[in-house]
Amino acid sequence: MTKIISEDIFIVKKRNLKNDYYSLVLKPFSKIENCQPGQFVHLRIPSASIFFRRAFSLADTNAEKGTIEIIFKVFGRGTRILSSFRKSDYLNVLGPLGVPFKLPDKKEKVLIAAGGIGLPPLLYLVAEMVKKGYNPETIEFFYGGKTAADIIERNRIKKMKVNFHPVTEDGSFGEKGLITTPMEEMILENKAEKMKIYSCGPEGMLKAVNELGLKYGIEGQISLEAPMPCGIGLCLGCVVPLVKGGHARVCCDGPVFDIGEVVL
Amino acid sequence: MTPDLKVVIAGVEFSNPLMTASGCCGYGEELSEIFPLSKLGGLVTKSITLHPRLGHPTPRTAETSCGMLNAIGLANVGVDKFIAEKIPFLARQKTKIIVNVAGSTIKEYVEVCARLNDCEPIDMVELNISCPNVDEGGMEFGADPKMTEKSIRAVKKVFQRPLIAKLSPNVTSIVEIAQAAEQGGADVLSLINSLVGTAIDIDTWQPRLTNNKGGLTGPAIKPIALAMVDAVYSHCKLPIIGIGGIASAADVVEFMLCGATAVEIGTALFIQPDIPVKIAKDLKTYLKDKKLTSITNLIGKVRKYK
Ligand SMILES: Cc1cc2nc3c(=O)[nH]c(=O)nc-3n(C[C@H](O)[C@H](O)[C@H](O)COP(=O)(O)OP(=O)(O)OC[C@H]3O[C@@H](n4cnc5c(N)ncnc54)[C@H](O)[C@@H]3O)c2cc1C
Ligand SMILES: Cc1cc2nc3c(=O)[nH]c(=O)nc-3n(C[C@H](O)[C@H](O)[C@H](O)COP(=O)(O)O)c2cc1C
Ligand code: FES
Repeated sequence: MTKIISEDIFIVKKRNLKNDYYSLVLKPFSKIENCQPGQFVHLRIPSASIFFRRAFSLADTNAEKGTIEIIFKVFGRGTRILSSFRKSDYLNVLGPLGVPFKLPDKKEKVLIAAGGIGLPPLLYLVAEMVKKGYNPETIEFFYGGKTAADIIERNRIKKMKVNFHPVTEDGSFGEKGLITTPMEEMILENKAEKMKIYSCGPEGMLKAVNELGLKYGIEGQISLEAPMPCGIGLCLGCVVPLVKGGHARVCCDGPVFDIGEVVL
Repeated sequence: MTPDLKVVIAGVEFSNPLMTASGCCGYGEELSEIFPLSKLGGLVTKSITLHPRLGHPTPRTAETSCGMLNAIGLANVGVDKFIAEKIPFLARQKTKIIVNVAGSTIKEYVEVCARLNDCEPIDMVELNISCPNVDEGGMEFGADPKMTEKSIRAVKKVFQRPLIAKLSPNVTSIVEIAQAAEQGGADVLSLINSLVGTAIDIDTWQPRLTNNKGGLTGPAIKPIALAMVDAVYSHCKLPIIGIGGIASAADVVEFMLCGATAVEIGTALFIQPDIPVKIAKDLKTYLKDKKLTSITNLIGKVRKYK
């Protein structure tokens, strides 16, 4: 039995989350039992103008219903076409792909650092932790965007009862600035506690989070993006340099890497 | 009766004419997570060089209309690590193993192939001659008939099993190069490698590849590859492995009608990694529909207009 499958599955629910953000729930995905937070699926977008598949992090899964969810923002040609898909349309999904997040110890304080469309894998991670009995009060959910429009799924985050810290660059929602500022304050206030950082977002943010982890000796993981022709380790197109030397493939050696592991 | 997909190339029997193309399935491990490699006639590895290579900085791939550009830069683990760490896995696979070899001097090709000759699980070597020859000012081995012949002759002395010469399409006359390879002692010809191409980002005015140019592959190049296979088949006696944009059973049939005995599938694996399994199934259906008992009945049977 192979761990990865490519199959046509149906859109059972589509939500327009406003401002060009969409959620698609698809089923029946036969490898649902293999899915873990941090992993992604590679979607074939049936259009003559799109050649490569496009990667989307799993935003949630439901083993009973056999569903997977992805959340995306319209960015370019592929995601534009994807946003026109509707309930009952089917898509070819290849997955689940990549290395998942390693869950923290239950005693540790968890710092989530989501930036923009880096939210989906972290939503899944936190949902899974809550399901597994982690105390949501030990989870500090930092979520940054350019403006209020980029802070999506607010109720969903609040419902998980985590400590929600929205941050926007223009101050239109939550604190004004970049998430690394309140994160650093939190770290300094809780120096005695053992912590773990989990992050996904734009490159600049990941770089800052990586440095924060290194500066205070806090372990954690970051999820990277790269152009991915194949998504399964065949082409070597998605590599990142490693601190210890050599390359790693983001698609199958990642996309989740330890803080301090890759050269950003 | 189920039609027979078996083909024989230079005395080596392949369960079907479908192989993976070099650089499109690494050393096989990842693809074996998708389907059993026994479904393939053969597996061609990423190009192996004498020393490990990291390749070019990213971005080193770009999407194009019906295809892609790559300038991976022959990233590979190097021959020693390949033999120590990758061969044991490949040896367990029930498919033919073809190792693709690249080099920047004839000496390097010879050294790598000599080591591979001692490696029993390897069925054939495919020589990637689309590499710059540093001894000749960086001109590609495969762009000059003399260099083609010389490099193949040198490798034949140290590698005792069948040798495939993989031809570059970036030449004035691929037939001339094919004949030089035949002259040099190649047992099989495979064609085509990628076509030189580039793409520019109109916002930054920079090429989309750090190498400034790369190789075009995928469905976009299929008609060119097909015409080249046809031309080489008409002028050379060696068996041909057709490569270029193959993504369906129909594509395979086209290549075989033009003279290919087998094919390699590259870029299509990135879009649909289990495509060889589907193609094998569809080929059987095609042969049944055409009332053919063996896929070899197709080879070179294109009915050309007079
Ligand atoms: C692991 C991973 C997880 C991701 N998760 C999400 C998510 O949850 N939500 C979300 O909104 N986005 C996610 N993305 C990003 C998503 O894949 C991009 O939004 C998408 O690739 C942009 O596609 P587009 O077609 O809209 O843009 P385009 O403008 O068509 O693509 C952008 C440019 O990149 C090129 N390109 C696209 N794909 C590739 C490729 N595979 N290889 C090389 N070049 C390519 C295109 O040719 C184009 O030039 C993820 C990416 C990765 C790698
Ligand atoms: C990402 C990538 C890497 C490749 N690497 C090699 C290589 O290392 N050696 C080689 O001989 N050909 C290499 N090729 C060329 C392929 O083996 C093949 O000749 C070419 O892609 C055309 O076939 P296709 O259209 O089916 O992909 C590479 C192609 C791609 C797309
Ligand atoms: S996308 Fe092909 S190796 Fe990672």
